[in-house]
Amino acid sequence: MSYGDTIPLHPSSQSDIDEIENLINAGAHSATVLPARAPSPSRASIPVSHSPFPLPPYQKMPPSSSPTPVVSSVPAAAATTTTAPGGSSRIGISTDALESPPDTLTEPVFDTVKRDLTRIVSNLKLVVFPNPYREDPGRALRDWDLWGPFFFIVFLGLTLSWSASVKKSEVFAVAFAILAAGAIILTLNVLLLGGHIIFFQSLSLLGYCLFPLAVGALVCMLEGNVIIKIVVVSMTLAWSCWAAYPFISTAVNPRRKALALYPVFLMYISVGFFIIAID
Amino acid sequence: MDRVQPSGENYANPKTCFFHVLFKAAALAFYILSALFVNSFVIIFVVTVFLAALDFWVVKNVSGRILVGLRWWNEIDDQGESVWKFECLDQESLARMNKKDSWLFWWTLYLTAVCWIFLGIFSLVRFQADYLLVVGVCLSLSIANIVGFTKCRKDAKKQIQQFATKTIASQFTSSLQSAFSVV
Repeated sequence: MSYGDTIPLHPSSQSDIDEIENLINAGAHSATVLPARAPSPSRASIPVSHSPFPLPPYQKMPPSSSPTPVVSSVPAAAATTTTAPGGSSRIGISTDALESPPDTLTEPVFDTVKRDLTRIVSNLKLVVFPNPYREDPGRALRDWDLWGPFFFIVFLGLTLSWSASVKKSEVFAVAFAILAAGAIILTLNVLLLGGHIIFFQSLSLLGYCLFPLAVGALVCMLEGNVIIKIVVVSMTLAWSCWAAYPFISTAVNPRRKALALYPVFLMYISVGFFIIAID
Repeated sequence: MDRVQPSGENYANPKTCFFHVLFKAAALAFYILSALFVNSFVIIFVVTVFLAALDFWVVKNVSGRILVGLRWWNEIDDQGESVWKFECLDQESLARMNKKDSWLFWWTLYLTAVCWIFLGIFSLVRFQADYLLVVGVCLSLSIANIVGFTKCRKDAKKQIQQFATKTIASQFTSSLQSAFSVV
């Protein structure tokens, strides 16, 4: 989620002055959220996604003169924040074209929590449920986050472990390890096939696509009949595969689509078997 | 919280410091003590990893901002490229940061990672692969934060230097110009 996107109009066609005007106007309407595009996740100013690693190709640091603070949209919030380090220039508007949105360095904690939670929900909706943006997968999971996948993997592991009558710990550990390692390996697979996908975005995607299987596992835990289990698992499996398909297939060369998709489906199918077979 | 008090006297943000340390200590303590009380590996795993994840979030989003004024995150730009962003407060605010706060922040960050490494070595020696998994996850979360914030701090320092040289350079050129215009 690039900064420019937090402003209602597309940044590439914006002049600096327009952006500043938009900020002023947006600030007047209050709220911490400036949605950039309709269904996109609440682009509340700045992303606080999480994950580690590599190098920034370029570092867009706030202009050295005034990197701090906060733009109009958080004036009220800034007053209630426990610390507002950028005291003097708290309600300033950065004039840098790329760094104009409100600065989350000084936002209250509750806002951060809310923003992250909203992002998880919107990512889930984007990936798993039908929506117009699925066909443009690059945009759909722009604000990747790993919290959703984390919850789903743990939940799936717990459900499987609960359903197991013996060796509960091993079941959990194995489920967690397989899902986590599987996601990493599948991502590497796509990358090695010459695909254009970002590591964490792909991890995030594969994790979110576990949601249907997690639901299926929950249902199977509560329901003992094998036939019903098989039906439920196949439905949720199909749902998971359908969810994962557009993202993976657009990431690679069309001739290598099958090579990239096959391991993904294989992993989900084996999880499905695991769910059915557990007793 | 008043940040105007003389630094070095007291923590400026005791609540944040407390939370910063709380989840780290809780994860470590639970992991170490759980072997005595809890039989189920699953519970140990889930609780420890959950606490570690909470700690990661708190450090990245709350205490990093408040205690040292740094923040890092990842964005995907319009071309679909992944971009890491690092951000810091402006120089005067950074200078006003409480020294004790930042001391606590950095030291606990490094210390936790070292503790997890030790625990990892223990479980490796005892051939407990599943506990190694727990340690691995917690360790990677700690290291992620360390790397992120260290990069951030380096960027902040670089920024100071750039700013300083730019200011000096601009002052120099402006004084040169004024000198020449007089002539």
